[in-house]
Amino acid sequence: MFEILEHTADIGLRAWGGTQREMASEASRGLTAIVMDASRAKAAVEWEVSAAGEDQEALLVNWLSEILYLLDATGVAIHSVDVADWEMASNGEWRGRGVVRGEPRREEEHPARLIVKGITWHQLQVRKTGEGWCAEVYLDV
Amino acid sequence: MPAAAQYLEPVTPYSFRVAKNAQRGMKTEVVVYANRRLVAQIEQDLSLDQAVNVSMLPGIVGPSLAMPDIHQGYGFPIGGVAAMDWQEGVVSPGGVGFDINCGVRLVRAPLGVEDVRPRLRELVERIFRDIPCGTGRKGRLDTGKKQLEEILAGGAPWMVKNGYGWERDAEFTEERGCLAGADPGEISARAKERGGPQLGTLGSGNHFLEVQFVEEIHHAEAARAMGIEEGQVVVLIHCGSRGLGHQVCTDFLAQMGPAMKRYGITLPDRQLACVPIQSEEGQKYLKAMRGAANFAWANRQAILHLLRESFVGVFGARARLEVVYDVCHNIAKREKHVLEGRRVDVLVHRKGATRAFPPGHTEIPAAYRGIGQPVLVPGSMGTASWILAGAGGSMERSFGSVCHGAGRLLSRTAARKGRDARQVQADLESRGILVKSETRDGILEELPEAYKNVDEVIEVVVGAGLATKVARLRPMGVIKG
Repeated sequence: MFEILEHTADIGLRAWGGTQREMASEASRGLTAIVMDASRAKAAVEWEVSAAGEDQEALLVNWLSEILYLLDATGVAIHSVDVADWEMASNGEWRGRGVVRGEPRREEEHPARLIVKGITWHQLQVRKTGEGWCAEVYLDV
Repeated sequence: MPAAAQYLEPVTPYSFRVAKNAQRGMKTEVVVYANRRLVAQIEQDLSLDQAVNVSMLPGIVGPSLAMPDIHQGYGFPIGGVAAMDWQEGVVSPGGVGFDINCGVRLVRAPLGVEDVRPRLRELVERIFRDIPCGTGRKGRLDTGKKQLEEILAGGAPWMVKNGYGWERDAEFTEERGCLAGADPGEISARAKERGGPQLGTLGSGNHFLEVQFVEEIHHAEAARAMGIEEGQVVVLIHCGSRGLGHQVCTDFLAQMGPAMKRYGITLPDRQLACVPIQSEEGQKYLKAMRGAANFAWANRQAILHLLRESFVGVFGARARLEVVYDVCHNIAKREKHVLEGRRVDVLVHRKGATRAFPPGHTEIPAAYRGIGQPVLVPGSMGTASWILAGAGGSMERSFGSVCHGAGRLLSRTAARKGRDARQVQADLESRGILVKSETRDGILEELPEAYKNVDEVIEVVVGAGLATKVARLRPMGVIKG
């Protein structure tokens, strides 16, 4: 699940999941929904995604930056994001790895919504809740 | 309400301050240019706290400044100015923003409002077709890899040399459309891949292209120097470095966290991430940032090239568009200033703020040197925009800077709530303003009501002696993402 958060100039995203992997997957889905209407995207092609960060928050920013790159530069209409790994490595660094499924974006099929410029560190949070994990992140639009 | 609001005290009718408080980590005071009404609006979000956070950055020289259009950003407030000591200070990619060299270019047409009004719809449709916003369509000027490298180093003058403009265009651009010291080698392959195909596109959000007319001249001599008169049609282009600049910021922000640990820098907000200007990371960022800034100037030049085709297509060969000026409002630049009688060598971060050098400054093109640097302040969709000229007070009080727009008041969600895009479009049309947008949300989120009153913002910067009024512009046609 995800929801949009208010901000004077930009836009925020809150995403939940039972596990950290689900939370990251939901945040990726939320980002996609802000950028385009991908409801008709097919899982025709796979893209491997990996990211790392000094802590879990940094990993989330860097992970979503990878997803944004697929949306804005590669031009993917994202169908789903399957996060396989999301954990702290032995050196203390956090690492994520997964697969994005989708198809090359066509404007008629997957209309654009907002151009997201970048994933910010503003009021960034990743926290454990009673039911699982919750992330809050703001995007520059 | 921001925590810092309780410490805000009036200094003049147009300025307020939060005194330096070392206990709270402030290295200097915060000065806010605003009147009481704008202060009440500023206190509705966290922008004031963000200006206080900026005052905690290592090597800050002079106050952390907030312009009257200040609103909450991420890390730095939007409408913030901070000067850092060139030797001892830091550079913050967040203090420039994702949209490096987002800016505004104003061009004038040899046409009056009565020439354009009867064919306005045709003109707006034509521009909308010729200049993609970039959400759905790629730019029409996709360059090869080698050309892109040259653009990153060469900016607007490269575009002119290669047939996308006239010699005079770059002359009337801040920094003549090219920052020296750019190194395309410091810009990642990803940034080039993301941004390259977007050359000649506007972008979405608050970016737009507006056909306007000069409603009122406030400074006859300056208007003459700028070649504008009452009733004349002008076009304002507001956009930046597109995906290329966004990716440069993303790439460097990702490196900042570990680098700050090495330099022992701790901050109240991670988005303020910064490194010493003289560090390897700092110098690499500045070289990449300058390349992205040059891309933005090339982009505004490319858009002008396409716009010229649109105008000639509708009005014939006589419709020659001339650049009035081009300013950037998201940038960090090395400048020499005098602070309390002392010469300082600083890196001025302008995040949602415009340079506004006063008459006589050598950085201003000769034709404008007697009147001050033109400053272009776009208002919200459907209201008004302003041409100002930098005034003497700007060098003493704001490192030669003023506001960059009206400043947002409502969030995008709040702006959309209970409103219908078609109704908004019809209302604007009944007031003589045609709006063409790639997306429905593009219209709703940029509603005039979502912004502060631009006239009030202008009264403050003029009252504070930072700039003088030259002309007020009214929109006729709006093209946006």
